[in-house]
Amino acid sequence: MSETGSGVPAQSGLQEAIEQQRATISELLTPVIEVWDGILALPIVGSVDTARAQDMTETLLERIVATRSEIVLLDITGVPVVDTAVARHLLETVSAARLLGADVYIVGLSSRTAMTLVQLGIDLSHITTRATLAKGLALAFSRLGLAVIPQLGNTRHPVSPDRETP
Amino acid sequence: MARVPIIRLGDVLIATVQDELYDHDALQFQEDLGQLLERGVAHGVVLDFSTVATVDSFLARLIGAIAAASQLLRAAMVVVGLQPAVAVTLVELGLTLPGVHTALNAEKGLALLAHLRRDERVG
Repeated sequence: MSETGSGVPAQSGLQEAIEQQRATISELLTPVIEVWDGILALPIVGSVDTARAQDMTETLLERIVATRSEIVLLDITGVPVVDTAVARHLLETVSAARLLGADVYIVGLSSRTAMTLVQLGIDLSHITTRATLAKGLALAFSRLGLAVIPQLGNTRHPVSPDRETP
Repeated sequence: MARVPIIRLGDVLIATVQDELYDHDALQFQEDLGQLLERGVAHGVVLDFSTVATVDSFLARLIGAIAAASQLLRAAMVVVGLQPAVAVTLVELGLTLPGVHTALNAEKGLALLAHLRRDERVG
């Protein structure tokens, strides 16, 4: 008897907690970051479903227009599994941004993801991809004609000719 | 009936497409632009869509065709100012305008044309 009595409020509390978490998650979904003048970054964490992809695309396109950005770095480091559906959503986002005149680079592509995409037969040959966000940013800088130059006499980051550029 | 105005600025043509363009007018525009390019007056075309709220599949296909035909006449075409909602609709319809250059606004479109021309001269 006492079990059923306490069960109902506990369940409604659980429901409330789930609702709250859902709201929090939706707020966290699509942060579009302006990393540099003309360069946006869109880090994706977690799985991508249709609703989220639409949300993401909408937010991204609005930000592209608002900031007049030419390059978008779509970071998929935090996406655990890239299957056919997720890849399709990503390609749609890339296509929509391209129609506005922005180049989208897909970065944070792990070797495992790359292998999966190839095995699934998804063609990404017309898309610029890089393994890390840093490499994508370096490419974006070079496309915009910018360069990062180490300060002379900086002992924390001494300039050595054989140091690999990111 | 509304003719799409084509403005000649140096060796670039600028056309501002108005909203709710009828198929007939779109075809007329294709004809007008073709005649200008045939005469070799321009090396580039900027197609401004900033005031367009809807693009149907007919117009989207026509843009692709005009871009391909322009290329044959040695002129590059850039579509500029597409609105986010229009872009989303086009992608959902599978009309991603392959082979068509795009830019955020007319200014960036002109810069892109200049860039393309430089590449062509070098290459």
